Amino acid sequence: MCGIIGCVGRGDDTLSTLVAGLSQLEYRGYDSAGVALGGETLSVAKRAGELAELRAALDDEPIEGALGIGHTRWSTHGPPTDANAHPHVDCSGRVAVVHNGIIENYQAVRDELVGAGHEFVSDTDTEVLPHLIEAELDDGADPEAAFRAAIDRVEGSYAVAAVVAGAEAIFAARNDSPLVLGIADDATYLASDVPAFREHTARVVYVDDGEVVRLDADGWTVTDADGAPVEKTVDAVDWDPEETGKSGYDHYMLKEIHEQPRALRQCLRGRVDELRGQVDLGDLGDLSPTGVQFVAAGTSYHAAMYGAMLYRSAGVPAQAFLASEYATSPPPIGDALVIGVSQSGETADTLAALREASHRDARTLAVTNTVGSTAEREADHVFHIRAGPEIGVAATKTFASQLAALNLLRLATAPGGDAREVVTALRDLPGDVQALLDDSTAQAVAEAFTDASAYFFIGRGYHYPVALEGALKMKEISYKHAEGFAAGELKHGPLALVTEDTPVFAVVTGDDDLSTKTVGNVKEVEARDAPVVAVTDGQSEVGRYADHVLELPETHPTAASVLANVQLQLVSYYVARALGRSIDKPRNLAKSVTVE
Amino acid sequence: MSVRTAVVLAAGEGTRLRPLTRNRPKPMLPAANRPILEHVLDALVDAGVRQLVLVVGYRRDRVQEYFGPSYRDVPIEYAVQDKQLGSGHALLQARDAIEGSCVVVNGDRLIEAGSVRDVVDAFETDDVPAALAVIERPSVRHYGAVVLRDRDIDQIVEKPDTDEYRLINAGIYAFDAAIFEAIDETSRADGELGLTDTIAELVDRERVRGVRTEGLWVDATYPWDLLEVAAEVLARGRVPQQETDGAVWVDPAATVHDDAVLQGPVAVGPDSEIGPGAVVGPIVAVGRNGTVGANATVQRTVLDADTRVAAGSTLVDAVLGQTVHLGPGTTVPGGPADVRVDTEVFEEQPLGAVIADRTTAAGDVSFEPGALVGPNVEIHAGAHVPGRVAGGAEVVR
Repeated sequence: MCGIIGCVGRGDDTLSTLVAGLSQLEYRGYDSAGVALGGETLSVAKRAGELAELRAALDDEPIEGALGIGHTRWSTHGPPTDANAHPHVDCSGRVAVVHNGIIENYQAVRDELVGAGHEFVSDTDTEVLPHLIEAELDDGADPEAAFRAAIDRVEGSYAVAAVVAGAEAIFAARNDSPLVLGIADDATYLASDVPAFREHTARVVYVDDGEVVRLDADGWTVTDADGAPVEKTVDAVDWDPEETGKSGYDHYMLKEIHEQPRALRQCLRGRVDELRGQVDLGDLGDLSPTGVQFVAAGTSYHAAMYGAMLYRSAGVPAQAFLASEYATSPPPIGDALVIGVSQSGETADTLAALREASHRDARTLAVTNTVGSTAEREADHVFHIRAGPEIGVAATKTFASQLAALNLLRLATAPGGDAREVVTALRDLPGDVQALLDDSTAQAVAEAFTDASAYFFIGRGYHYPVALEGALKMKEISYKHAEGFAAGELKHGPLALVTEDTPVFAVVTGDDDLSTKTVGNVKEVEARDAPVVAVTDGQSEVGRYADHVLELPETHPTAASVLANVQLQLVSYYVARALGRSIDKPRNLAKSVTVE
Repeated sequence: MSVRTAVVLAAGEGTRLRPLTRNRPKPMLPAANRPILEHVLDALVDAGVRQLVLVVGYRRDRVQEYFGPSYRDVPIEYAVQDKQLGSGHALLQARDAIEGSCVVVNGDRLIEAGSVRDVVDAFETDDVPAALAVIERPSVRHYGAVVLRDRDIDQIVEKPDTDEYRLINAGIYAFDAAIFEAIDETSRADGELGLTDTIAELVDRERVRGVRTEGLWVDATYPWDLLEVAAEVLARGRVPQQETDGAVWVDPAATVHDDAVLQGPVAVGPDSEIGPGAVVGPIVAVGRNGTVGANATVQRTVLDADTRVAAGSTLVDAVLGQTVHLGPGTTVPGGPADVRVDTEVFEEQPLGAVIADRTTAAGDVSFEPGALVGPNVEIHAGAHVPGRVAGGAEVVR
């Protein structure tokens, strides 16, 4: 999915209007972005990476024009490089095009254009369009006729917009991809979705398949494929641009928490085979590491700790390192596989650690949510967690998908052990998370403790990283003090912090030695009058010592951690909400940290 | 069609569909292998609607999570009805999202694009303040009955207790912007604001067009009706997957063992697995991430998402909710059977069992024909499940 935008009539504000519009389309993707401004000549700026990269490039080198088009991309195939970012231009730099959709016959058209001497610089299907327009212009067609002729040549789905140097107009067309016009008194807009221009106007025209649009200083016209004018109704929309994209939820974070069943389905799709009790990750299955070193930061580091435990349980020596430490004080690597875990694939610390490992001739693997990210390009191998775009700064669904993905990775590269049970538990996970979301009492628990002076989280084994992640989430969005501890470590110091104003969240599942020991730690806490919240599947007796219980469906121990984390996400969310925090954009934090 | 905005009423639970509505409203129950509401949105988008407003309430997270910010690239706005105080009250919640005329439909019944277009065309051609679709039904008991005079509605009666009516309100409306004021002026009956009360007042004051339509119109009144709904959907091929064989649809992300037999009509959703020796169909819909174990036999059955039927089980005429796990050797013998709902008995229904969300059965469990089993029930190995089991119960041998 991608997003396009265009505007005419904004004068000196054209560039800022386009960039602001693209930020409203980020929910459609954000792995590369670009703009083209038109007039007598064309100027194009585009960058792989989030919109911030484009903004930085434009700050360094602003471009000007009285009209323009823009694009934000989310790759599912092919890397988001600068070259593959939109807009795409022709050989002469006279034509720029942005496109959302897929041109099915692009290979044939491209071969023909290459035969005629056109030079292509990207791997995209879109690039045939500017060259087709260029060819028509060279044959003497006027810009609109050239655009129409180009559209006639392509098959597939598209919402496409083009600018041509010397033509003070934007041309656009639609087939099977969304395109809507925004009509203001002194300016006209087009976009994939209304939020892109909603701050400027509420009057919209929905373009239908087969229609061609011209926007210029005189306004807008819509014609059919033969050039005959089409009478269009101007509709009024009456929604708040901030709200669209959130699907009725108050925050992206809550939306993304609720999207976890879907994200997990995507992560598992085509990779698990329960009938055979196997996982198939293609070539990654051949990695067969004899040792693993994970490098990661923040939430991804907690996923990495969990991943290291998975490998150790399969008999493969494995450790997790903080990427920033690893990069500057690396351990001996030997022949270990170095796995970098990063949602964005752009985390500077993780990239530095991976580079350090490559420099020492280690094999590297990137586990990321972002197709074609720097981590993917630089590592020897890549594994995508497929969680879809995440907008909230606090990672939620990507953490769940990282945990699921690391289970897949372990099963594919170090098979055996309890593989069959884990595969079954992974397939149950989307339904189990849904069950938890349907019945969670986390809001009531959170609201009982909004005044707490600190929050502590404890867990053992696979639940230890979850305890750390629970605390990190609480810090990030509630701005309150929170710490996670290995349950057994509490009595070695931190217990001194525990008071009746510090609720302790204990993650305890199953009824084995681990859970019995954690229950023992819970009793220590309870004896100090601290309120206890048990996050449990109810198999152990922890509920007896708890003031509140957050219930989990019963499942395999590795899957139970994913479930426990969802409850803790909800607790943090509702504490932050009760405190009136800026949940989607907490102070001082950025979604992807691209500085060391 | 120039009316581009549609309001879909999807806030009510649909209590007659209990126990399947424990975790989601009726519009999210399966019509074959996807929610009823998805079929409704298809009809609206196919008819040319370009802005969707979903009025959500009961268990609204489930609707919002499933559809997200858009459906087939048509943006969705969600309007929240916190308390379900009638269909008129539900429509009022969408007021801020609407300017001008709009289409209004119920989100819990299968409709067709043609019916939507017919209503809007009549609304525009005759320049009336309101138009609604009217269809003929053998029984009008659960619906709003209407009487036509020429092409206009002459009378509208909610849930009549006589059989003198033949036509019902199909729940597809076109209104001009004045509808909101008209609802405001309607007085509440038993605390609820019914849209039909407002329409009845419009009938008295102005013209309301009744538009006879003959397109697909399917409603599930009781849980076991989902079997008929599935049969209808499969018969018409309203399945998103590519047809691989005669009336067999298998999602590309599903795994069907080479030694499994699919007897059409059968639809298998994404991420599902069908084991060796299993015989599935005819008239079976497997929702996403379903599992049918080795040598299981499944006929005329709806399996909703994340449900497992273990090896060697036999299911006939069964409706399974989500995340239902049936152990090896489970037997649902099929109807006809008498089904008890509260004090009412529905005789000779073609129902094996309705098993609600997250109920689990250990091995070798058998069900009394016509059983209604609530959600989160734990059935022990070897147990025989009686005709009625409340949610959360334990059934022991």
